[in-house]
Amino acid sequence: MPALLMLVLVLGFPIVVAVVNSLSLPDGGWTLENYAKLPQDSRFRNSLVVTFIFVGGTVLLHLIVGFIIALALNASVKGKRFFRVVAILPWAVPDVISGLMWRFMYNPTAGIINRVLLSLGVINTYVEWLGDSDLALPSVIFADVWRGYPFVMLILLAGLQAIPGEQYEAAKVDGASTIQEFRHITIPNMRGMILIAVALDTIWQFRRFGLVFNMTAGGPGNVTEILSLYVYKQYFRYFNFEYAAAIAIVLAIIMLLLSLPYVRAMVRRL
Amino acid sequence: MKRRLQPGIIIAYVILGLVLLYTITPFLWMIFTSLKTDQEAVAIPPTLWPQEPTIEAYIQILIWGNFPIWFLNSTIISLGTALFSTMIGSFAGYGFSRFGFRGRATLIGIILASQMLPGVLLVGPYFKMLSTVGLYNTYPGLILAFTAITLPFSTWMLKGFIDSVPEELDDAAKIDGCTPLGAYLKVILPLIAPGMVATVIFAFLLAWGDLLWVLVLTSGEKMTTVTLGLTRLVTQFRIIWPQLMAGSMIGALPPLILYLLLQNYLVEGMTAGAVKE
Repeated sequence: MPALLMLVLVLGFPIVVAVVNSLSLPDGGWTLENYAKLPQDSRFRNSLVVTFIFVGGTVLLHLIVGFIIALALNASVKGKRFFRVVAILPWAVPDVISGLMWRFMYNPTAGIINRVLLSLGVINTYVEWLGDSDLALPSVIFADVWRGYPFVMLILLAGLQAIPGEQYEAAKVDGASTIQEFRHITIPNMRGMILIAVALDTIWQFRRFGLVFNMTAGGPGNVTEILSLYVYKQYFRYFNFEYAAAIAIVLAIIMLLLSLPYVRAMVRRL
Repeated sequence: MKRRLQPGIIIAYVILGLVLLYTITPFLWMIFTSLKTDQEAVAIPPTLWPQEPTIEAYIQILIWGNFPIWFLNSTIISLGTALFSTMIGSFAGYGFSRFGFRGRATLIGIILASQMLPGVLLVGPYFKMLSTVGLYNTYPGLILAFTAITLPFSTWMLKGFIDSVPEELDDAAKIDGCTPLGAYLKVILPLIAPGMVATVIFAFLLAWGDLLWVLVLTSGEKMTTVTLGLTRLVTQFRIIWPQLMAGSMIGALPPLILYLLLQNYLVEGMTAGAVKE
């Protein structure tokens, strides 16, 4: 099976190298020190918190926005195809480029966001969205909602379309309200799809790099420094290859643990 | 019954109207900015649409800048990755789909799990490996590295497509004297052609949008891709927004066109069979 050999070569071998690196000293020899250092590294702890806020915030908002739009698209509206295509557009843009688009929209003086909010009277001074340590992370999350909701929306829409119409008709005969229908038919039917959407989205969001790199590069200070950025900097800015490998392994373990139920469910279905 | 639905429909239209505004605005802002002069783009307060529309920014990046080289590099690397990864993925997918061997379930689990690995775990080792064998800053090196990211997806997607081909068909071919490889080439390949196309495009898009790997595995202008080139423009001291937005616009076009043409396939691929209950 040469194909399997190839898999081992392009994936297995680098992983072994990463593990070996994380257990090495810069000048050779084995050590656990790279891992032992982690709890004391305040930048790592910060990065861990930022990552969880970023992933949690974006996944939750993708789900809420995606679900609302999927419901609207599932209603009997005209021009469904058109709206569906438009709603998918942001997903088609590479995240590096959506980061650039939003960075300029957030521009304090020349950006459209301040301009609109100023003329609506919502704010009365130029707000430094990406330069303010309290606003930077929410601003990045908000930009990512635009980029990331379509994927969740598409999965949920597929789920909504698979719910048998008879269930709603039966509920109507029984005189159920729209809210009751939603609670007792839509939500139970959608449970599986929601789990799949959240699982896949979470994995993608843990890997997110280009968007944040181009919006803030982790700043101001380290308030938007997600783990993938921190690992990158440890590797290629500070050249701590061994320490960077250890952080990357911790990130990988977090992701594997989180995705274990999903992987297990998929394999069981085989 | 129709009447009772009415308020819901109105709400749906309102939501869809807002969605339209929300999704389109960033695109319009990008296009408008790309058509402004350098001064107008940073005017305070900003103008909404260009007062004197000009394609100066496009001319600057396309004729005087290195953008065409970046575009060519992105195309070569993404296309190379897509073809290589789909070829190997289809063989691996064929193996997983048709041959029962010991540890098959475990291996499939490993492939699935390897999709969950963060890219930053692999960039360090790849930097070392490619430097050692002299493939740093080369097309083959980048294609190989990207394949590490796309191959698990490609394998999983193609396994799904091959699963949907009835096994009796390749059995029939084998009775006619085909080898497993022959059955694969003559029977399965033509049937999964649409799936192959989807997989090729999916890998292409993953590679096209990447920044991390090119950042780490290239140096200088020679191997710069669109994403990396734009990133360099934005980290410069003076950012020329119309040029940056013109570049973003052109850089986003290939994926936009591919997504629009193949959205159904891609959704199926992204969710990798998960949606099929």
